[in-house]
Amino acid sequence: MSTCEDGVVARAVAATDADEATAAAAETELYRRFAPRVRLFGLKHLPDRSAADDLAQQVMLVVITRLRAGEVREPDQIGSFVLGTSRMMVAGQRRGERRRAAIVARFEPFDEATETSNDLALDSRRLAPCLAALRERERTIVLMTYYADRSATEIAAALGTTAGAVRVSRHRALASIRDCIEAPRAS
Amino acid sequence: MTNTSAPCPSFGELSDYWTSDITPGDAERIEAHIFACERCARMLADAERLRDGIGALARAGSTQAFVNDAVLNRLARDGVRVRSYALGPGETVRCAAWADDDVIVARLRADFTGVDSVDAEMRFDTGEEWAQATDVPVRMGETELVLALPAALVRSAPTGPMRLTLRRSAGASGERILAEYVFQHEGTLQR
Repeated sequence: MSTCEDGVVARAVAATDADEATAAAAETELYRRFAPRVRLFGLKHLPDRSAADDLAQQVMLVVITRLRAGEVREPDQIGSFVLGTSRMMVAGQRRGERRRAAIVARFEPFDEATETSNDLALDSRRLAPCLAALRERERTIVLMTYYADRSATEIAAALGTTAGAVRVSRHRALASIRDCIEAPRAS
Repeated sequence: MTNTSAPCPSFGELSDYWTSDITPGDAERIEAHIFACERCARMLADAERLRDGIGALARAGSTQAFVNDAVLNRLARDGVRVRSYALGPGETVRCAAWADDDVIVARLRADFTGVDSVDAEMRFDTGEEWAQATDVPVRMGETELVLALPAALVRSAPTGPMRLTLRRSAGASGERILAEYVFQHEGTLQR
């Protein structure tokens, strides 16, 4: 989907002469397009899923409000505007989180809750055999990456290889898993 | 200015983005592309779902793999119940899986001097193969390999001796068998 089409939707949200139903449809479409990307950005940069969900809602609220107020100078570059807003809000949340953590550390014990899988998790019945079908070296790297949260450099040190070799093995493993998962759908 | 004419990142590059195995500049480039390209945004969502799914499988103790302390520490943090057995070459251990165990770990000690990968197989006394692995990476100076097995799989195995053999990976010169271990499997135990 192109930037051009995103721009069309953004301009529809910003249009002051649209009727209520048309404006609402444009806002819904803009939310559908960008909220998932903001959420992914949040998953990358914030500590948990609920924070990422909150970020998606807050960013999209700001974006739609500013579009409707005519404060977005280049609606055709709406993606850049959404990204910039996401970056600013994440920076703000991090500052707030540091203040909150400092207060918590001073005044009360804090138990980190274990995250549970949610509806985003792949069906384990499909994923498990695909993971099992990997070469042992690749499975070890995948587990260290996605479960133990180790970087390629750390994995390389643990396995006595190079970070580049780890990335190559990981890319190959992920391609195998994707092919394996997609295979039943294709057949 | 975002430019969708920039080439789409590969799935591998997106996975490197998730694991922060790229430079900050490349991460910013990928983020700018994602916010301008819905197709790549979907691919990034796939990468995240994959990461989430693999984590869920590991937490459920459903994965058979050679692991290391990084993975074991994460299992402990996640509250996964792990039962460990440690053996040297030629040793036999009586073992069982309790009904509430999630993962059974075998710490296999051996002299891995000059070895960079091994193959492993587990067989019943009848000779029937129960599990096998090829190309298990061995770091220089390593003194043990750690095999994690789903406890549910162990509970479903028949009682009796199981022999685990470690060999140098195919293609290596010299004697291939490095060590053998015997697990005297005693079944499932209730508390």
